[in-house]
Amino acid sequence: MSNFAATPADAGTDVQFPTSNVDVPLPWLAQVWKQSISQRAARFGLAWISVVAFCAIFAPLLANSFPIAIKMNGRWSSPFLHQLTATDVTLPILTLLCGILCFVRRIGFLSKIYTMLIATVIVGSLAFIFIRPPNTPRETYRLLERAGRLQSVVRTPIPYTFDDRLYDQFSADHPHPWAPSHDHWMGTEKFGADITSQMIYACRIAMAIGFISTGISVLIGIVFGGLMGYFVGIVDLLGMRVIEIVGAIPTIYLLLIFVAAFPDYRSIYLIMAIIGLTSWTGDARFVRAEFLKLRNQEFVHAAIAAGLPLRSVLFKHLLPNALAPLLVSASFGIAGAILSESTLSFLGLGIPVGDASWGALLNEAVSAGGGFIWWLATYPGLAIFLTVLSYNFIGEAVRDALDPKLRERS
Amino acid sequence: MLNYIIRRLLLMIPTIIGITLLVFLVMAMSPGGLTAGIRGQEGNMRPDQRKKIEEYYKKRYGLDQPLYRQYLRWLNHVLPFGAKEAGEGFPRKWPVGLKSPDLGESLMRHRPVIDVVAEALPVTILLNLITVPVIYAISITAGIYAARRRGNSFDVAWGTTSLALWSIPTMWAGVMFLGLFANRDVINIFPASGLHDTLAEQMRFLPSWPGGVFARGWLLDFAWHLTLPIICLTYGGFAFMSKLMRASVLENLSADFARTARAKGLTDRAVLFRHVLSNSVLPLITVAAGILPGLLGGSLIVESIFSINGMGRLMIDAIFQKDRELVMSEAFVIGIVSLVSLLVADLCYAAADPRVTYE
Repeated sequence: MSNFAATPADAGTDVQFPTSNVDVPLPWLAQVWKQSISQRAARFGLAWISVVAFCAIFAPLLANSFPIAIKMNGRWSSPFLHQLTATDVTLPILTLLCGILCFVRRIGFLSKIYTMLIATVIVGSLAFIFIRPPNTPRETYRLLERAGRLQSVVRTPIPYTFDDRLYDQFSADHPHPWAPSHDHWMGTEKFGADITSQMIYACRIAMAIGFISTGISVLIGIVFGGLMGYFVGIVDLLGMRVIEIVGAIPTIYLLLIFVAAFPDYRSIYLIMAIIGLTSWTGDARFVRAEFLKLRNQEFVHAAIAAGLPLRSVLFKHLLPNALAPLLVSASFGIAGAILSESTLSFLGLGIPVGDASWGALLNEAVSAGGGFIWWLATYPGLAIFLTVLSYNFIGEAVRDALDPKLRERS
Repeated sequence: MLNYIIRRLLLMIPTIIGITLLVFLVMAMSPGGLTAGIRGQEGNMRPDQRKKIEEYYKKRYGLDQPLYRQYLRWLNHVLPFGAKEAGEGFPRKWPVGLKSPDLGESLMRHRPVIDVVAEALPVTILLNLITVPVIYAISITAGIYAARRRGNSFDVAWGTTSLALWSIPTMWAGVMFLGLFANRDVINIFPASGLHDTLAEQMRFLPSWPGGVFARGWLLDFAWHLTLPIICLTYGGFAFMSKLMRASVLENLSADFARTARAKGLTDRAVLFRHVLSNSVLPLITVAAGILPGLLGGSLIVESIFSINGMGRLMIDAIFQKDRELVMSEAFVIGIVSLVSLLVADLCYAAADPRVTYE
């Protein structure tokens, strides 16, 4: 492992994959990717995450109370377009951009990432400033259709938005939650929202929580662990104490304490930040260990001797060589972040009431007062389980690909 | 060894102080002030009454003082020595001296925190003390079994199952167990909440047959209540550990010393159980330090699902009520518990492996 991580150029000789017609070895990350993806479990994981990502990006096209197209008074219109929120618009645009960037060969990997980040900020802020959907009652078009005012309607596969509480279908003798039926494939929750729709919209929170909070924790881990590993001595000693302090309290307790410090209305971004702030210790340990190993290598000495600034030595020369264990810890970290969010929501301390989250749905399965509501327990739980399992599968595969010794053994 | 233990114990002090400081700062950031929780109880009081009672509470819990003094006040409570405060009886008229450490008073329950914690801590520790041996027993057995039949159907099935088990969220498992096996409408074979039956105090300790009718007794009642929570706490751990055990048995089976033992004419069983096993358990002891915080966290969820009054449930209550004294003491106690268990794990490692010395 030590030699392996230190000299990535040599690693190519260890790693073998079936279809190598080319003599030039692939870039190292590409090798790892190919190696991990060749495993069935990792492929399953990637497939499930693609499904979740698809649901997250195209949620309004999959489940929406507003029809895609209607014909009223002889004219076609699209109520769906007027009701798109900023998130609904931002996500597909960014996905499209990401897709285009993947096929552009000229730009380097890092610049692609920078482009994506800048685009995210610009598109996101523009969308949030300019797009303000009117607060039309969700049942409007159902009522119009029932009244026979619409000549034809094109609906999404699931004709309910996640916050559509079916006020028009309320009946006192048949209170919510309803069991799964032909109209509501996964039933409804206690306020009357359709669970299928909630599950689809919750994919957004799962994806966002996973990536953003892991991003935060990895970033903190890199800076913290990198400085510790590079400067050793007193910085390392103090840093290790801080890691010990944060690491000594079980993560869930730490999360609860941080959550308690904020008002009762907690936005999803706050939860992301909190999860990121409480889970960086593992990443910092990994980066520190790698930097400690690498700092006496010749290429680092050469970089220092060449008079490169500290920033360059740390992030351009040391970091790329220390990325390997970070990759593994990040993919397990995503699984952990999703679990943390659902746990917090399950305990009633997570995202605000009304937002869709798998954990919050699971919470309702037992807390609604009507005993055990199986459809509220089964589907969200299964979704959390599959997502966490997928990221764990991918993490395992990447780790096996990175560590040839481990691969031979099992 | 004693040197090492003392050094580790001393190193814990700054860590513990750091933990409490961190928690204190986070709690101090809480908007609405710390009296927000107290204010909720006041109900329909006249404004002047309300003001008076708020001032009373502020004074009583030292909330009117600057932050650093509040923190020092809390530290003063916890330490076995320190400055005298109103209501504390020191032996003589000294301003500073030895005293019995206490954890302050709960802002919402108006009870000494130490009493509240003393009720909850044994429950959590008991849950974890039962969980750890169960995890080890299952993972060592399964790991050996899988390694001996490497590549056969059990091995493959166990490998996949354990990764799947590892990914099942504890809360989902808990909710499903509760809903399927402790539900009057589905299968009602396990109790839904608590650690004891309401009548447990009147039971005999062991099962008995008074008048030909089976009475399960205190012990069996306890075990019956513990079954589902313990399953929820263990499955993740043994899934992870048995994988580790399998890998380490495989590694040791192909090591030089195992080959020597086989060349000496020992049977496979003797090689495995005399030589390989003791070496293979070492990594399991190393990771014990890593899974303990996870176990404590897991018991929080399990306690909340099965309504067990342990530290986790207490913490959730304290958070909901913004009870600062309780939250800080919880963090303090949990921090100590996890640091001590990490130390114990390290010592076990040294005890199991004679090559490891901490000098």
